[in-house]
Amino acid sequence: MSNVKTIFRREFAAYFNSPIAYIFIIVFLVLNCGLFMTPFFLQGMADMRDFFGNLPLFLIFFIPAISMRLWAEDKRSGTFELLMTLPMQTGEVMLGKYLAAMAFYLVALAGTLPIPLMLLALGNPDLGAIAGGYLGAVLLGGLYMSVGIFTSGLLRDQITAFILGMLACFVLFLVGIPAVAATVDGWVSGLGSFLQNAFGLMPHYQSLGRGVLQLGDLVYFLSLTGVFLALNTLWLEGRKY
Amino acid sequence: MIEVRGISKRFGPTVALDDVSFRLDRGEILGFLGPNGAGKSTAMKIITTFLAPDAGTVAVDGIDVLESPLDVRGRIGYLPENNPLYDDMLVREYLEFIGAARGLAGRRLRERLDWVIDACGIASVYHKPIRELSKGYKQRTGLAQALLHDPDILILDEPTSGLDPLQIIGIRELILSLAGQKTIIFSTHILQEVSPVTDRVVIINNGRIVADGRIGDLAREAMGENRLFLGLRAGADAVRGELERLDGLTGVELLEESDGRSRFALRAPFGQDPLPQLHRLACERQWELLELREAPFSLEDTFIALTRRSRAAGEVSHV
Repeated sequence: MSNVKTIFRREFAAYFNSPIAYIFIIVFLVLNCGLFMTPFFLQGMADMRDFFGNLPLFLIFFIPAISMRLWAEDKRSGTFELLMTLPMQTGEVMLGKYLAAMAFYLVALAGTLPIPLMLLALGNPDLGAIAGGYLGAVLLGGLYMSVGIFTSGLLRDQITAFILGMLACFVLFLVGIPAVAATVDGWVSGLGSFLQNAFGLMPHYQSLGRGVLQLGDLVYFLSLTGVFLALNTLWLEGRKY
Repeated sequence: MIEVRGISKRFGPTVALDDVSFRLDRGEILGFLGPNGAGKSTAMKIITTFLAPDAGTVAVDGIDVLESPLDVRGRIGYLPENNPLYDDMLVREYLEFIGAARGLAGRRLRERLDWVIDACGIASVYHKPIRELSKGYKQRTGLAQALLHDPDILILDEPTSGLDPLQIIGIRELILSLAGQKTIIFSTHILQEVSPVTDRVVIINNGRIVADGRIGDLAREAMGENRLFLGLRAGADAVRGELERLDGLTGVELLEESDGRSRFALRAPFGQDPLPQLHRLACERQWELLELREAPFSLEDTFIALTRRSRAAGEVSHV
């Protein structure tokens, strides 16, 4: 565990060693809050449904941009060899990096907390739905991040890792959309709905956003995240041979 | 103690290492020589557990690199090729990170930091960002990283590449100061860099070991003789007659003759120095001396000789 902490501290600090981190957080907040606030006073509804509704699409761009450097940068600069000859397990290094990227995402997400505070001041929002929404945002971000760290581990070029990560997240997003599932069902009967149920993230995300905490949704996000993290570790271990 | 037994490694169709074996005892320093792309780095990557061999085994202090890689890593200080560093960190942050990753903390960490700062001479840049350092200081920081946990074994991949002569001497002195206490492998493609530090070399080419032994013996055995160049303002025939009469020379070959100048390539048995004799001869005959020098004793020549021999004999030269 102390190895994970060592890597975490170095990687988390690395985000803030360049001004990009701050620009990144500002862009995240301006876009997210801007999109949310524009129609807010017209609708006059004290909830965050639109905010959380935008997030799955928005994070497809945002998360891979955080995760793209995790391995690709080390591979490009050669520090990958340094990391892989330290006396720690590949999985520990991976976890340290993943958690650092998640912490950075959580910092950006925490920047949106003034919205629920404002809602509390202005009206009487459903706090359960908001809490569920945030939980969904964390789990969804965690899943995208695991996809992103996986694609970063495949490549030595950050931009390619970004694009590949974005595409992979987009596929996960698409298979959960009813319209897409219906179209695929039209080609191969049953395939679309099978994919939607097995891998699609939207149904799970939306139920969390309603403030409904179901074991199935948690299991979906955590297990799929675990699968990508394990694949990432296996791939990096396999590179030795 | 490092024991490499019959390791092979291929990358796709390229054979990087082919049945490489050598052994290094505690406290020994080994110069690992070979041209670029010979397989030096691959071998070092396998010893440091970064890569796994396709065949063969490596034992470090009797521990197999495939069975307990973390154990092996703990015993080794490694400076990878091109000295990778985290450019965005300060030297202090970087070394503290490596220290923590190596399991050092508290007083022990401070002691070791003080030691490497002093040994590697990085006190003046300790609080600077690594990206602002000169190449020499970057290299020292890389060495500090490798030495931080006081490993018994040091593996340095081209520690002097790209440095200026003064910096090279600095690194060399650092390695020499560790001699006897630590087992060290360092790679280079420049023979002259090995001899001041150690005389034990392993020469590798195209993934195969072509020689393993003491530098002097290897060179003598491989080359058998020294080559010299002699240029004089005198007729070739007269000079040739005199040269052939000298007993220190085993071969006299006229390279060119024009405008009353002649130029010879001479051969002399290894270990003999016919330069004073030749100089005296030129003085006595009052021939104007235009050129008199030993052909540089280069890795390339030794190497070419050794590869040719090993190919002919189909075996490694052990001296």
